[in-house]
Amino acid sequence: MTEIKKTYKNYVDGKYVRSESGKTYTVELKSESYELPLTSKKDLRDAVTSSKSGFDSWNKLSQYNRTQIIYRLSEMIEGNRDSYVEILLDYGLTKAAANKDIDNAINTIVWYAGLADKWEQLTGNLNPVVGEYFNISHQEPIGVVFSLNSTEISIDKLLSSFLPALSIGCSVINLSEKNAVLSLKLAEDINNSDLPSGALNLLSGDFSKILDDVSRHVEINALASYKKLNKENLKIINENASTSVKRIFHLPSEEGLSSILPFIETKTVWHPKGR
Amino acid sequence: MVKWEYSESIESDSIVSIQDKYGHFIDGKFSTPNSKNYLKTVSPSTEEVLASISIGNEKDVDKAVNAAKEGFKRWSKTTPSERAKYLYKLARLIQERSREFAVLESIDGGKPIKESRDFDLPQVASNFFYFAGWADKLDISWGAKEMKPYGVVGQIIPWNFPLLMLAWKVAPALATGNTVVLKPAETTPLTALLFAELCEEVGLPKGVFNLVTGDGTTGAELVNHEGISKIAFTGSTSVGKYIQNAVGERDIGLTLELGGKAANIVYNDAALDQAVEGVVNGIFFNQGHVCCAGSRLLLQEDIHDEFINKLEKRMQTLRVGNPLDKNTDIGAINSKEQLDKITSLVNEGVNDGGELFQIECELPSTGYWYRPSLFTNVQPSYNIAREEIFGPVLTTLTFRTPEEAVEIANNTEYGLSAGIWTEKGSKILWTADRLDAGVIWANTFNKFDPSSPFGGYKESGFGREGGRHGLLSYLKVRS
Amino acid sequence: MSNINTKALASPLTWASTIELLESVKVDEIGVKERVASLSTRSIKRESKLQALNYIVSMCDLTTLEGEDTEGKVLQMTAKAMRPDPTDKEVPSAAAVCVYPSLVSTAKEIIGTSNVKVASVSSYFPSGQVPLESKLLDTKFAIDEGADEIDIVINRKAFFEGDYRKVFDEIAALKEACGNIHLKTILEVGELRTYENIKKASLIALAAGSDFIKTSTGKISNGSSKEACLVMAKAVYEFKESSGFSAGIKVAGGIRNSKDAIRYLIIIKEELGEDWLHADYFRFGASSLLDDVLKQIRKLKTNAYQSSYYFPRG
Repeated sequence: MTEIKKTYKNYVDGKYVRSESGKTYTVELKSESYELPLTSKKDLRDAVTSSKSGFDSWNKLSQYNRTQIIYRLSEMIEGNRDSYVEILLDYGLTKAAANKDIDNAINTIVWYAGLADKWEQLTGNLNPVVGEYFNISHQEPIGVVFSLNSTEISIDKLLSSFLPALSIGCSVINLSEKNAVLSLKLAEDINNSDLPSGALNLLSGDFSKILDDVSRHVEINALASYKKLNKENLKIINENASTSVKRIFHLPSEEGLSSILPFIETKTVWHPKGR
Repeated sequence: MVKWEYSESIESDSIVSIQDKYGHFIDGKFSTPNSKNYLKTVSPSTEEVLASISIGNEKDVDKAVNAAKEGFKRWSKTTPSERAKYLYKLARLIQERSREFAVLESIDGGKPIKESRDFDLPQVASNFFYFAGWADKLDISWGAKEMKPYGVVGQIIPWNFPLLMLAWKVAPALATGNTVVLKPAETTPLTALLFAELCEEVGLPKGVFNLVTGDGTTGAELVNHEGISKIAFTGSTSVGKYIQNAVGERDIGLTLELGGKAANIVYNDAALDQAVEGVVNGIFFNQGHVCCAGSRLLLQEDIHDEFINKLEKRMQTLRVGNPLDKNTDIGAINSKEQLDKITSLVNEGVNDGGELFQIECELPSTGYWYRPSLFTNVQPSYNIAREEIFGPVLTTLTFRTPEEAVEIANNTEYGLSAGIWTEKGSKILWTADRLDAGVIWANTFNKFDPSSPFGGYKESGFGREGGRHGLLSYLKVRS
Repeated sequence: MSNINTKALASPLTWASTIELLESVKVDEIGVKERVASLSTRSIKRESKLQALNYIVSMCDLTTLEGEDTEGKVLQMTAKAMRPDPTDKEVPSAAAVCVYPSLVSTAKEIIGTSNVKVASVSSYFPSGQVPLESKLLDTKFAIDEGADEIDIVINRKAFFEGDYRKVFDEIAALKEACGNIHLKTILEVGELRTYENIKKASLIALAAGSDFIKTSTGKISNGSSKEACLVMAKAVYEFKESSGFSAGIKVAGGIRNSKDAIRYLIIIKEELGEDWLHADYFRFGASSLLDDVLKQIRKLKTNAYQSSYYFPRG
């Protein structure tokens, strides 16, 4: 019997798409070899367009609703545990390590799901200003975030590279490189969730091929790299980012409250108290 | 009929003593600069040369950064509570000598004494008091496991609020355990130099606060120095972009507080008289040399004429003149360079077709002055509606609906501040939610407090100064 | 100084146009306080201070409104109003004396050809809690006795019950009764409390034909305030814009020293302009203020701090 091999595609705007360039790169695993889309500049631009509208639709939902959508993801990953374990094994993990990673991933999702409707209570506050004024530091998601996944073979790390931004209302374009099979696999569960199209776009490829465009694109509000970048890349990113004062975060915190801080804009509003 | 004019009421300048020449403050003392180049700081209200200021060179900056590195070791050995006490002491000394600071600020920078006395100096002291209190509470400020200072912070501050910007930078940096190399603006270094004396007086450990004076070349040396772990800059967006670019391959901290072109939105259901006051305060405070100035007046079309009438009448009562006169509302433009920039942008606005109103008043014969100005009949495409003028020039645009107001307000690369005037509470919240701006003043404008975070969206920069959020600009945080 | 009789008198608007004025009343309390605080930092020295102090004397309505008032008291006070500082001819006379109706004729007796006016409170000052008929009788009596100016109180009962029409009608009726006599309408700002109430009451009083609006009866503890004065100045300006009539403002109640009085003058100068710095447009209702002003004037001229016993009793 001929084995039918699954083709993994980028997940952009709620659809599975090939790279418009047609280019792919090969990820050789123990038992399988995958041809993954090599994200091009054009693909990136499409993802940004999608993320822009995804940001709006994601933010139209109530925090309560967002909590449930993220929580639902944990249920789906649990339901498909075996297929994730299979890929992790193929990447070389032991069965125990793979299952541990899924356990961690589920805990991570549960944590961020519950954060989606609380984070502003933890990071925002009233400020005790002098005088007859009400002063509040309202917290807003920064907008479209590009995040570069770490190189680790881990569903948990993958989730930790976009859930901090996503859970507080940002839309995220997430790029994975050699470990991208995990994220393109995850795209299937994302697609089955109620996450609005464009809220999360999952791409595969080589960051160095698109970093110039990523850091230059004005409509990407922040760039977070969970992968350690070399000096050459940092230089290009900072230089490009400076043209539109883009926020750059190199190896940001991956857990806890500190993980969301890069993606918040603090909006402080004053109003007098009078009769 | 005899008019009732206010007689001159001049704040005496005998309280300040200015040296002919200043060195840098490095490692706890003033020292002779390596650089042989000096610039002259001039009083913008008299054009009188006040002092010679060293233009710090690479060696001067290097010496300061190295002192700050050593200072960091000392500072890290002090307890949080000790660090708090040093800042409290500085706050006290600033209060004690606030009149001296205020007069010096007005002489060197041109701002009215009533502002340096009633606004700048009280805010300077309160910033040191506020952040002093955080020094021993960092562990509970964000509930994080790890709150580490960066180390040596390079700070570059502007000329519009010289000492207050020093306070905004230095107080949180020291409270969080960093040490500082500060470069004040070239036109307004004198109050920072006086502050250095206070550091000596309170016995701040050597190398914790270092000051290198100079111009843009000095700033560049500081920005590019390998020993700096974090840069905090307040100034123009163009220089901010230069700095972010210059960070290059270095993995260091950066916060930028840059320019603005704030919309001050007046709805037709506002308390118009107070809105007029707020609009005047929004643009003419500190000669309009304010990054968060409400420089774009957005008027709902149906109140345009009434509002402009009230505004012009009110503007005419502004008193322009000697910064040391206690009755002066608008002082001198900070420098010849800035005056030229304002003049050229206003001329461009007139050529574009904007209608210009300037108040009638006598201007002193020496010094740099500009009449409070108001543009009406302006299209959003004119440069005066887009570019930061950083002077006493207000540009008026109109809108029909709240949606349109928000659209016009956000139609800029800047996102520092905004104003909303309406007596309808829900409209304030609706509007505030939609404005891309870090600070929003509703039914007030240009209010500041050390506990209130300040900073921009978009190309107005990133990071916050002030409040609990301000701590994050100087700490590496891990939960 | 005072030339009240040459100033045009107010004439009432219709109720319909008054309603329009009231509809747009919106005042932000903190904004008002900040503006006043900012104006209070004005530093008035030397010549401008002397000029201000002379203005204040010329704008004073020297007042006694007590149950214990007698003819003797009123005569003393009137004499003082005519020549506040007998040793200094440069010091002007006060604008007016202000007394109860039964003492108007006493004051008139010695006024002679002096410019000093005799003002009387009426309309059942200070509460105004009687029917309009009684208020009219009270007012007519004061006028018959020779009062040049009438200070009435607004009907706060009607105001708080939301019957602005009644407040308006009563003032208009009293204005009619006054004819050529100058009408000052007391709002009692300390009872109205909010600045929106003060602005509304100001506009009602102006629209109903008041020549002046006045802060307080002086009979309650929180009489005048600079904030109320500012809000009233805004109303006067707005009324001038819509009707063309320049009304005056009288501040009374708790203004006891020169420094405070000068701050009121600053508000008037900066909000309404130089034209209002005249007894035709601005008055202080006061009893003890005058002595402090006289002391300050002599201090400026002699550079020595003064004692009250240099100045005649009022």
